[in-house]
Amino acid sequence: MPFMEFVNFYLMPGIVLGSIYALGAVGITLVFGILRFAHLAHGDLATLGAFAALGVVTIFGVSPWVALPVAMIFCAFMAIGIDKVFYDYLSERPKIIVVMSSLGIALMLRALVQVIWGVDTETYTRGIVRPENYWGIRIRDREIYTIIAMFAIVGVLWVFLQKTKWGKAMRAMSDNPDLALLSGVDNRKVTMLTWAIVGILCAASGFFLGINTELKPLMGWTMLLPMFAATILGGVGRVEGAVVGGLIVGIVEETSVLLIPGEYKAAMAFAILLLILLVRPTGLLKGKVL
Amino acid sequence: MSQSVIEQSVAENIELPGYSGKPILTMTGVRGGYGDADILQGVDMQVSEQEIVVIVGPNGAGKSTAMKAIFGLLKVRGGSIVVNGTNIAGWKPNRIVQHGVCYVPQVDNIFREMTIHENLEMGAFLRKGDISDSLERVYTLFPDLKERRSTLAGNLSGGQRQMVAMGRALMLNPSLLLLDEPTAGLSPKYMEQIFEITRNLRDAGLSILLVEQHAKQALAFADKGYVLAAGSNRHEGTGQELLADREVAEMFLGG
Ligand SMILES: Nc1ncnc2c1ncn2[C@@H]1O[C@H](COP(=O)(O)OP(=O)(O)OP(=O)(O)O)[C@@H](O)[C@H]1O
Ligand SMILES: [Mg+2]
Repeated sequence: MPFMEFVNFYLMPGIVLGSIYALGAVGITLVFGILRFAHLAHGDLATLGAFAALGVVTIFGVSPWVALPVAMIFCAFMAIGIDKVFYDYLSERPKIIVVMSSLGIALMLRALVQVIWGVDTETYTRGIVRPENYWGIRIRDREIYTIIAMFAIVGVLWVFLQKTKWGKAMRAMSDNPDLALLSGVDNRKVTMLTWAIVGILCAASGFFLGINTELKPLMGWTMLLPMFAATILGGVGRVEGAVVGGLIVGIVEETSVLLIPGEYKAAMAFAILLLILLVRPTGLLKGKVL
Repeated sequence: MSQSVIEQSVAENIELPGYSGKPILTMTGVRGGYGDADILQGVDMQVSEQEIVVIVGPNGAGKSTAMKAIFGLLKVRGGSIVVNGTNIAGWKPNRIVQHGVCYVPQVDNIFREMTIHENLEMGAFLRKGDISDSLERVYTLFPDLKERRSTLAGNLSGGQRQMVAMGRALMLNPSLLLLDEPTAGLSPKYMEQIFEITRNLRDAGLSILLVEQHAKQALAFADKGYVLAAGSNRHEGTGQELLADREVAEMFLGG
């Protein structure tokens, strides 16, 4: 197979899908690191974000790119609200109960999407977009924007975590929660801030999946396993690891069809997850041990 | 400590052991524990202005638990904990920090994944505005840390980690510092250095409550000492008095 064919039909789609996974995985890793539980409603929160953007597009007739920030803000408040009503209420209970409740939230969010938008497949815009040709690399503009947006969003988050007072408080909480409390950090504020960021990331990941493929009520749920695989591959609690993990899972999924039947594509994330847990449970970038 | 403070205490007929100044911390009959059982069975202690008070006692005596009780990390079921004239029993840690008490726990007392500098910044989390004066003060106390300020705290040696932990606790300029076994597992050189810094901090005006396994060395410079066993005070006196006490020496200081 010619090299450019590999790049155009396997590698680039892998990077685009990987960017979408990365946006989700960064959020999962923040929840794991700071709030210390596996957030199973992550995919369905992404679905909600994608459909919220669709709502804005249909009601106001604006471009999907204008709808994205609105969906991000909406999901940030949804995530804070869900935490207030459910997760915070259960915070003194064993973590497994919080994890199971997040599964319940996942089902509720999906039901909400189905009640409002029905069960049919939707798209942001109609018509077929043909890829442009840049020096032999065939790629659609929206795919370029997806990759750029992922790096931009994660880059801003990275600077926030490294340089600002509350970003450092989030890292401190992830590093040593007891000592953070002794230093006077208000863990309620850190928790709300974390959920706001997680909501924004979820909306972005759902939106980019929607704009590159289509919108379905199950779109986020099917991303959950690859996103978790990416999180654990990168190392739990590691933002940069989640990006690397997301890209690897995306690329492996898209290129796997060269070697094995396409029906097994979805099993690749599971295979990666098993392998990393067996070989290096702390992930590539040495995250927390689960 | 000034002469007038002592005279004033005498005049007001406040009972103070030794030659103490104004009391900073007074624990009276403190009871409490983690679950339903009381680990602390009525602890009485006092730390006065510019004093180093050392707590010694066997493993599991409740030394760390007493410190956690002061810092609001466990349920206090009886007694009072008065700091600078206010009973802080039942307060949350972040309020206690603002009241001028800082605490270096026995274990897990640094942010491993953050640099030395960021650890110190976290110590000043509650402060608004410029913190460079406190940073400068801590870096002057611990010159080793200044050189390595961009190193992750988790990559440091045990002695340097302990310095980071103390530095973090000093960032809010507390009036009372609680140190839980700051020299555990350190080489004699680092132990001496930590003790030296502790004495310097006292001389600069701080009051310090220090739990120590190196009981003999610590009591040698302590202004006052308490022997804690099975959750209550067994002995108290100046450091020299405890070192000279035959029973204390036999039972708690290894003969
Ligand atoms: N988090 C906890 N939950 C329940 N019990 C605890 C906890 N921490 C300590 N204990 C119990 O409280 C008692 C006193 O422990 P504490 O840590 O205060 O002892 P210590 O005097 O500091 O000993 P060491 O010299 O080993 O540090 C022990 O019996 C211990 O088992
Ligand atoms: Mg202890």
